[in-house]
Amino acid sequence: MIHVQAFTLCSALGAGMGATRQALAANRSGLMPANWPDCDVPCYLGAVDLPEEVVVPDAFACRNNRLIELALAQDNFLSALDAVRSTVPSHRIGVVMGTSTSGIDRTEAAYRHLTEGDHLPAGFLQPRTHNPHSPGDYVAHRLGIHGPCLTVSAACASSAKVFAVAQRWLTQELVDAVVVGGADALCLSVIYGFHSLQLVSPAPCTPFAPDRQGISLGEAAGFVLLTREPAPVQLLGAGESCDAYHMSSAPPDGLGARLCMERALAQAGMTMADIDYVNLHGTGTRANDETEALVCGEMGAPRTVFSATKGFTGHALGAAGIVEAVLVIDALLTGLVPGTCNTRRHEAPFDLLLESREQSLRTAMSNSFGFGGNNCSLVFARA
Amino acid sequence: MKFTILGMGIWGRGLQGAGALGEVVRGASAIVPETEFVAPRPAAIPAREQRRAGLLVNLAVMVAHEACENAGVDKTLVPSVFASALGDTDVTDYMCRKLTQTEKLLSPTRFHNSVHNAAAGYWSISAANHAPSTFVGGFVNSVGAGLLEAVTQARAFGQPTLLVCYDIANRQPFADLLPVGESLACALVIGGEAGEQAASQAGIDCELAYVDGQTSPTPPSTPALAQLASANPVGQALSLCEAVVRVCGPGFAGERTLWISATPSASLRIVLRKPS
Repeated sequence: MIHVQAFTLCSALGAGMGATRQALAANRSGLMPANWPDCDVPCYLGAVDLPEEVVVPDAFACRNNRLIELALAQDNFLSALDAVRSTVPSHRIGVVMGTSTSGIDRTEAAYRHLTEGDHLPAGFLQPRTHNPHSPGDYVAHRLGIHGPCLTVSAACASSAKVFAVAQRWLTQELVDAVVVGGADALCLSVIYGFHSLQLVSPAPCTPFAPDRQGISLGEAAGFVLLTREPAPVQLLGAGESCDAYHMSSAPPDGLGARLCMERALAQAGMTMADIDYVNLHGTGTRANDETEALVCGEMGAPRTVFSATKGFTGHALGAAGIVEAVLVIDALLTGLVPGTCNTRRHEAPFDLLLESREQSLRTAMSNSFGFGGNNCSLVFARA
Repeated sequence: MKFTILGMGIWGRGLQGAGALGEVVRGASAIVPETEFVAPRPAAIPAREQRRAGLLVNLAVMVAHEACENAGVDKTLVPSVFASALGDTDVTDYMCRKLTQTEKLLSPTRFHNSVHNAAAGYWSISAANHAPSTFVGGFVNSVGAGLLEAVTQARAFGQPTLLVCYDIANRQPFADLLPVGESLACALVIGGEAGEQAASQAGIDCELAYVDGQTSPTPPSTPALAQLASANPVGQALSLCEAVVRVCGPGFAGERTLWISATPSASLRIVLRKPS
């Protein structure tokens, strides 16, 4: 059995679980009108309030690693890790991070400063920042962890899939503890990229609303500490699948989504009837929500409660998986079930919770579906 | 952790397929400075799509199909792990250059190809494969990170898993960060413990250990391959593929050990044994 020993989150809702819970309980969105350097796309963004004094070593300097630094400082996460380290040697602790942007915000900046012959000026000669593995590399370096370390980059499923990796490592006893996490920073690549696909909403996103207009981008960093030692919340299932359909759109029948949900449930030894709450992928695009509604409408049991939380946080892309896994874990512990912020009416064929409410949960699922057709569903339960 | 190697796929300069690797190792053919890189044209991707996909994706998909064919595994069912140090630097370069301009209009195709799981996406579509698929980065240790992920998947799923390691030659400014002088891809179909496989899937018996402390990665023992391997982080996978060829060769007895870097401070020790 894999158990959650600690967790933390920084998103547009604030730094740490206290700020996060307050915003959820008040149904207060973290989305604000875009005010981003060099960006003229009319949209709302879920930006993290990242204080100037949060810095990382020059070799790793980029916004994404600074988000990581901010998150690591919240919720006594490092104390919980220290407690584990008192009995587990550093090479028996793993690090698995999920990201889509990695340090690309810094690479974008570097391109504005290229010298003759397209060389990087001294301040930008940061091999450990300008590559897909920067978050994993930084976390292991920062925490002095010497166990296996890798970074998953599977678009919006990245930091959900980190749980599947950690589960395999712990089950096969390659390690005794794993720091899983995700981080993605807002940057021009994602804002103009999704703009080129005409998927960015000019208004705050409204998942599953009949008049939804697309996504609102966000950024976040979050962590979960997993071990085999008993704790109040368990990871029971991690299901992965591929759409094998199209690079940037899901199949209308939602086969890939269905497969990963079924695989996560099978691993947990459950059916949908056993799931109290589902945190949907729910991006707010016409196609994604329609497909997910179709699949969940067919699979969902009458008493299952659903919600989509990207109206709170924005779509944090490579960090969306960890954001929503943490919200699910916290809902299991606190009984505060987040609603579907900003959405007033919906057309989903199931019980979509619009306003956050108190409800005791025993089991919960989180869905993450990504570009390239990579999907992942997670099942957690209160022990 | 025990695992098996069931088949390989290779593409690089002078290495158009695993068969070519065998010839180079046996000395039947040579890679010389004049040998030119031939762009891969994977039959599984329609010609029009190949242009949109770009070199990195074509390279990865090419070796992925070859490895599955050589291993005799069902392409529609095999889970897959894609690993690269820098990802698609051609796409990153395009995106970052465009974003320095006043008019930041990006091509939607180049943008969706900018996700690091692009090759995994093209592969799954070309193979009609709905199994789990992932991309892992480990920078210069990507081969080790990918191998660890593939071995643990094969053991967890109880079925062979495809590992694809790939990086393309780069220019400035990426060469300032990590110069990659050769485009190279190596794919391996990794099976769980021997004995769990079907008889038709007998492979090379291997044992992997995660060892704290840094040991230099083992270069290929064939000089031409060592040169190629030193010019691309995927070279560590080329060493493993060369070891497979040697272990399978006539007259080989005993075992062969090689080291692959796993993190900046740890390594994977791989011991290969000839199948009995």
